[in-house]
Amino acid sequence: MSPVTSEPFVINIGPQHPSTHGVFRIKATVDGERIVDAESVMGYLHRSIEKLAEERTYTQNIPFTDRTDYLSSMANNLGYCLAVEQLAGIGVPARAQAIRVIMSELQRLASHCMAVGAFANDTGAWQTPMMWAFRDREKIMDIFEMCSGARLTCNYMRIGGVAFDPPAGTFEEAVREVIRIFPPLIDDRADVLVENEIFVARTRGIGVLTAEMAINSSLTGPMLRGSGVAWDIRKADPYCGYEQYDFEIPIGYQGDCFDRFIVRLEEMRQSVKIIEQALDGLPGGPYKTEVPLSLRPPAGEAYARVEGARGELGYYVISDEGPAPYRFHIRPPSFINLTALKEMTVGGTVADAIVVLGSVDIIVGEVDR
Amino acid sequence: MPFLITDHWYDLRDLANLCNQVLSWLGDFLPHGLVYIIAPVIGFLFAFMLFTLPTQLYLGVLGERRLIGRVQSRLGPNRTGKFGVLQPIADALKLLTKEAFTPTKADRVVMYVAPILFVAPAVMLFAVIPFSHGMIIANVSASLLYFVAVSSLPVLATFMAGWSHNNKYSLFGAIRIVAMTISFEVPLVLALLGLALMMGTINLQDMVEFQRHFHIWMVVVEPLAFGIYFICVSAELNRTPTDIAEAESEIVAGYLTEYSGMKWGLFYGMDIAYAIAASCFAATVFFGGWSFFGLDHWVPPWIIFIAKVYAFYSLFIWTRATLPRLRSDQLMEFAWKYLLPLALFNIFIVATERMLWSKADFGRGWIYVFAVINIALFVAAIPIWARFIGYRPERTPTRARLVREAGGYVPLAPNAAQGDQR
Amino acid sequence: MATRHISGEQMAAWAESLVPGSVARTDTFACYLKQDQLRETMAALRVSPESDLVYLVNLCGVDYWDHLEVVYHLHSLVKNHIGTFKVEVPDREKPSVQSVTSVWYGAWMQECEAYDMFGIQFEGHPNLKRILLWEGFPGWPLRKDFLSMPGGLQPGLNEFAGVSRRPEPPVRVVE
Repeated sequence: MSPVTSEPFVINIGPQHPSTHGVFRIKATVDGERIVDAESVMGYLHRSIEKLAEERTYTQNIPFTDRTDYLSSMANNLGYCLAVEQLAGIGVPARAQAIRVIMSELQRLASHCMAVGAFANDTGAWQTPMMWAFRDREKIMDIFEMCSGARLTCNYMRIGGVAFDPPAGTFEEAVREVIRIFPPLIDDRADVLVENEIFVARTRGIGVLTAEMAINSSLTGPMLRGSGVAWDIRKADPYCGYEQYDFEIPIGYQGDCFDRFIVRLEEMRQSVKIIEQALDGLPGGPYKTEVPLSLRPPAGEAYARVEGARGELGYYVISDEGPAPYRFHIRPPSFINLTALKEMTVGGTVADAIVVLGSVDIIVGEVDR
Repeated sequence: MPFLITDHWYDLRDLANLCNQVLSWLGDFLPHGLVYIIAPVIGFLFAFMLFTLPTQLYLGVLGERRLIGRVQSRLGPNRTGKFGVLQPIADALKLLTKEAFTPTKADRVVMYVAPILFVAPAVMLFAVIPFSHGMIIANVSASLLYFVAVSSLPVLATFMAGWSHNNKYSLFGAIRIVAMTISFEVPLVLALLGLALMMGTINLQDMVEFQRHFHIWMVVVEPLAFGIYFICVSAELNRTPTDIAEAESEIVAGYLTEYSGMKWGLFYGMDIAYAIAASCFAATVFFGGWSFFGLDHWVPPWIIFIAKVYAFYSLFIWTRATLPRLRSDQLMEFAWKYLLPLALFNIFIVATERMLWSKADFGRGWIYVFAVINIALFVAAIPIWARFIGYRPERTPTRARLVREAGGYVPLAPNAAQGDQR
Repeated sequence: MATRHISGEQMAAWAESLVPGSVARTDTFACYLKQDQLRETMAALRVSPESDLVYLVNLCGVDYWDHLEVVYHLHSLVKNHIGTFKVEVPDREKPSVQSVTSVWYGAWMQECEAYDMFGIQFEGHPNLKRILLWEGFPGWPLRKDFLSMPGGLQPGLNEFAGVSRRPEPPVRVVE
């Protein structure tokens, strides 16, 4: 009688899967339910944005940046505009800076709503938190549509300011409404999940990353802060006047999925604080600097970064005095945050891999560009 | 007070009278053997067609989707028909007209047989449920045992389904479901054993009579058994929080991945039918069945019974809409380490009480005393046992730490992992 | 409070003091390192308490027409400064640079991407393969001689349709 053997087999989590947040594939070698090896396969959404950007003018590249991280388009636009402004030495009026801050923080709120909802969905809570999160997000989408004309890919920042002045009256009303209703909503959504034993059992102790490992893997955003490292570009390298606003950075305890979840929740609360301060102190004046359509910055390079919802979103732009950038490189936070995926998933089960992927909060448009 | 429901065939409070009248009329000109076969057919028509199928369609499909929709702050289906009342029919028509293809390398015979094997026990389960004083299709003397035995059959069908697809995701689902169902059946049977001990019978109709006689529901006499029953039966039914076999966000559809068309429809429909059977069983054993403290003399008992089934099924819908899902090893740990000792504890307590009761010649007031003691033990045992096996909820933080300056790792304070740590 | 940008000369001074002979040339903006002692230099820069460049922010490749370059942006969290290092790779047929994956684990995926887009081989990389494009893709897309559009157009913008030939107004800097 031959002995009973078992061998590991390869299972594909994705690319068509309800929980991989887009077309992303993990090739997991599985022994029973334990993952023995995990390899992440990406590139299903590669659109060669970096190459295409070399053939368009600087202003024409702004819609490209919308489509990389399509859930956080204001922040993408902002990073690119900051890089080009640094290259060309263009200043931004104070009103534009305040509007940029309000839009960035609103976008962070919207993106974290989606992240939190989708993460709870991954743990199995039958889309209930996701439906609630989407309902909250609609109010922010309405504000974006009011100002820029689009809900998702806003294309609102321009080099030297913002594209349109927000409509007087209705904009302030809508943003005050958001400031009023969001804090109790965040607390309400948090209460359902944070003290739920099943949720805690699913997320606590899963996907632990020590601070040392996080720094070495070049992680940014809630992943880095969940491991206890206090690093936020808005505090470390302030842009657009962030140094004048009073807010705090949330950090986690031990770097597991639960910590990243509560860090995101707390970031939402801090964002509401910043929006309130920016709106209270919104100056008048011009909303953008006059910049020629085919801008030709002097030769040189610039690396500018913003704190996106997922981490440090950097833009490395090299100019050779032509109308188009010579090199346009995006430093995508989701892509680099995936470096640590293997450490976090190997040794756990398939169910844990899904939860970990949900906590990394990737956007495949940014991973693949 | 004697039971007011009479034996007249027009007394619709007990439809068994009507059935018996029809059967005796048929027996006048048909041979006895044929009447013996027709009797269960009539029973099937009444129980399954008149009760289960409409309940399954309207509570199980439409009611579930609308209730879950309301929990998720959205409307459920309301386009087909006036309030979505044609939705189940639309679903059934869609599934019937879909192509049910089988993958090339799948095991065709097993794949074809698995839905059949899944449907048959669902129908068989309704044979022993008492809807009224005389309305049982088959009053088997060991109906509790019959129920538990038949409800173990679908596991085989789901494993066959998962195995036959030749698909790794399906195999995952099949493996998980077997592990989980086996783990949860043991505390289930032990909880029901405690119940049978207290009532002194394993016949479901006698259990209803027991509850009617003492004017008490078993849910207050043995709340621990009810709690264990509820959790174990939702595990058996693959409902969230224990639906790992068909965990949509992990293994896409588990053992149902390659089924489409009416084969999938059968699995989905019978899933609901099993849930209704479990609700019927709970209503019978724990909530007094068709009796309601004397109301059952005037209101037809089967209406009371159906109302209880609906209420219990709504409990299933409620937990499904709100709770996340546990991982499979966490589930099994929960079953073996937590529920099984609690079920054994329950049996111990119940056996002691029954012995004391028999010494007192089954006096009437004792059971109320037992109810109070059992409720107190239920409230005490759950947290104590949880702490005993290592559950420490105060160690989980609820808010993140907040800092003002950026730059480097901020180590944890010595008494870390409390909420609002600064 | 803002991040200081370390000048190229300062970084060259650090690199020279830690590993002599590692600097090829210096710019105000960046420090160009030689290829042969790259990993050693990076490891030393990471642990040295003066420079404390523990964090690799960005690793990308650039194609100048006659040579390729790999750009490293390094950052210190505690001291809050950022610096740029570059490595010039003159050989376009078989470009190769030492991999810094053993120094910073975060370089893994970025080096794979640089390989994918430019064809730069990173020696010592545990698993160098194409991640954004499929195995067997012909060519290295982000090189300037890889033409993305048919018809033989040169990369870069040749003309911008719809703009008249009048001179552009100067940029008004508003404070």
